[in-house]
Amino acid sequence: MSAGARTTDPPAVEPVQRSARAWARYLSNHPLIVLGGVLVILVLSTAAVEPRYLSSRGIRNTVLLAAPLGIMAAGQTVLMLTRGIDLSVAMVATAAAYVVGNQSPNGAALAIVLGLVVGVLAGAANGIGVGVFRVNPLIMTLAMAGILLGLFTQWAATILQGSTSVAPFIRTIGAGSFLNRQIPWNVLIWGVVAFIVIGGLRRSGLGRMIYAVGDNPTAARLAGVRSWQVLLAAYMISGFFAALGGILLAGQSGAVDLRLAQNFLLPSVAAAVIGGTSIFGGVGTYSGTIFGALILSVLNSMLTFLDAGQAVKQIVYGMIVLGLAWLYAAVTRAD
Amino acid sequence: MSTTTGDLARIRTGAGWARWLRRNGWTAGVWVLLLVLVGWYASLIPVFGEFQIASIVKNSLPTAYLAVAQAVVIISGGLDLGVGAMMVLANSVSALYMEGQGLGVTLLIGIAVVLGAAALNAIIGWVIVTSRVPDIIVTLATLFVLSGVALMILPSPGGGTSGGFRWIFTGSTAGISANYVPSMVALGLPVAVVALWLRRTRPGLSIYALGSDENAAYLSGVNTRRAKVIAYAIGGAFASLAGLAITAITATGDSRFVNASNGTLNSVAAVVLGGIALTGGLGSVIGAVAAGIVLFILNPILTTMGINPNTAQVIRGALIVAVMMVAGLLELRRRRAE
Repeated sequence: MSAGARTTDPPAVEPVQRSARAWARYLSNHPLIVLGGVLVILVLSTAAVEPRYLSSRGIRNTVLLAAPLGIMAAGQTVLMLTRGIDLSVAMVATAAAYVVGNQSPNGAALAIVLGLVVGVLAGAANGIGVGVFRVNPLIMTLAMAGILLGLFTQWAATILQGSTSVAPFIRTIGAGSFLNRQIPWNVLIWGVVAFIVIGGLRRSGLGRMIYAVGDNPTAARLAGVRSWQVLLAAYMISGFFAALGGILLAGQSGAVDLRLAQNFLLPSVAAAVIGGTSIFGGVGTYSGTIFGALILSVLNSMLTFLDAGQAVKQIVYGMIVLGLAWLYAAVTRAD
Repeated sequence: MSTTTGDLARIRTGAGWARWLRRNGWTAGVWVLLLVLVGWYASLIPVFGEFQIASIVKNSLPTAYLAVAQAVVIISGGLDLGVGAMMVLANSVSALYMEGQGLGVTLLIGIAVVLGAAALNAIIGWVIVTSRVPDIIVTLATLFVLSGVALMILPSPGGGTSGGFRWIFTGSTAGISANYVPSMVALGLPVAVVALWLRRTRPGLSIYALGSDENAAYLSGVNTRRAKVIAYAIGGAFASLAGLAITAITATGDSRFVNASNGTLNSVAAVVLGGIALTGGLGSVIGAVAAGIVLFILNPILTTMGINPNTAQVIRGALIVAVMMVAGLLELRRRRAE
């Protein structure tokens, strides 16, 4: 992507009142407050539409749906930090779900491991293309999605035939809850993912190198970072999370089909973007993405309560993504 | 090079062929690839005549138009994920209102759709330069919004058009014939106009300038905001041409989301295959057109070879990756050599 877009500032800055500017600066330093505010507003307006939403059950359903999205968006966040993007998350998730469905008779543990391996392998292929051969990430992951779609459409009718249901254990972690049916298992998994990703990006060597490669590839290279290894690792991480998300989705729906995850591709990008991760790399956090996934999930609940058709859903969804991105850009640009 | 003026380019033409090849090698290569593929296809099927040529040109129209739409935007340093949705919207609107009308009315509707799409995409371009939200995010949103509007206007496939309107894009009032001239004109004329306009006029060159270095363009007096809005307007116009072509070819409108997303994906693939840098400022729409037709013609070739459509999709994806890997390696070697 062009680096020029963010370096251009018009020479004239419109005069803003001092207090307003101080506020804007405070908010731009603490973007999570803005996101939290948006989330609260959305939850309250959803409750205004449907009062029953403000119950432990309504909230539970929202986070239950947000967890697979948030986990897939974790990979997306890591890649966007490296100036990359993964447009194959939905197909990788579906592929993993198919493998899990196929291997479920051999035990849930083996099935899950093999599903995750498929994700990591697909991610590694993406990583080699982007990291070693310098293929544009958009093209590489798009082509990967096309390849996987072709392969699994074919295999779904042949060697993977009948792999449409998953083991009970996977259904439990995908849709079940614990603590008096209050907390979904997949939210626990999401919590672990969040802990690892937030901590890993902040403290581990790989995490810092992911930021470095995305912030300034040349500087990172001159500092001795082997960027192809960092990129390979990042794409493998994304493949892993896509597969994990796909497995949870399969558990949630109880069945696997080729369209299982297709509605998660663009939202996974949108969640990261709403959360403030820059598509130009080097800027962003996973905590923001978590808010992004929650916001999208609440929005989905609200539109369902409003009984909106698919067309209206798409329009509102697009408008909200644009509106939030615009608001976010305005707030973070103020300083 | 794209920031220099036309005059400077003309002074330097003395360097001759080697220079032309270095500049346009990729574009020429894609056209050679296209000719090879057409030749291969011709050798695979028992009869290859005007009818087959007409069929290839006609059916590749939507991909080729979309490739141009995406190319202009990408050259300006942007990326329009909404082109596919704009195509679907134009297809739905035109099929809905053209049904049962005569040639005159359908032509007027067609023109109105192109102008409307250009205006709509200009507004999207304006939103991008005003909000300074990255192109990819704004157009991700418009991909949803526009295809939602299309779905609202035409909830289920239907509609129609006039025979005369079908002739403009397909060479026959029934949509199928051996007359390839109208299709070629319908593709060649607008592409030639835009290609020349981009290379020879001030606003056209300012689009290249904007894509190659926004700061430098701004500092050398280019109205970068206007250039971006114009690029998006042209992109919208070409995306709507793709939609009108579908209306003419199929005589129906189809507003399913999968058409929009596939259209966008193909357009990006065609642009990259056509030698246009995703960073902007480099490449030509001529290359993108050839790449768009290449992407289309792979389908009939693989089908005639008896390969099932799913394997064909795998091969297509692998081929795109392979081409990009070779390009990446060449680029790497060139950089090492310098």
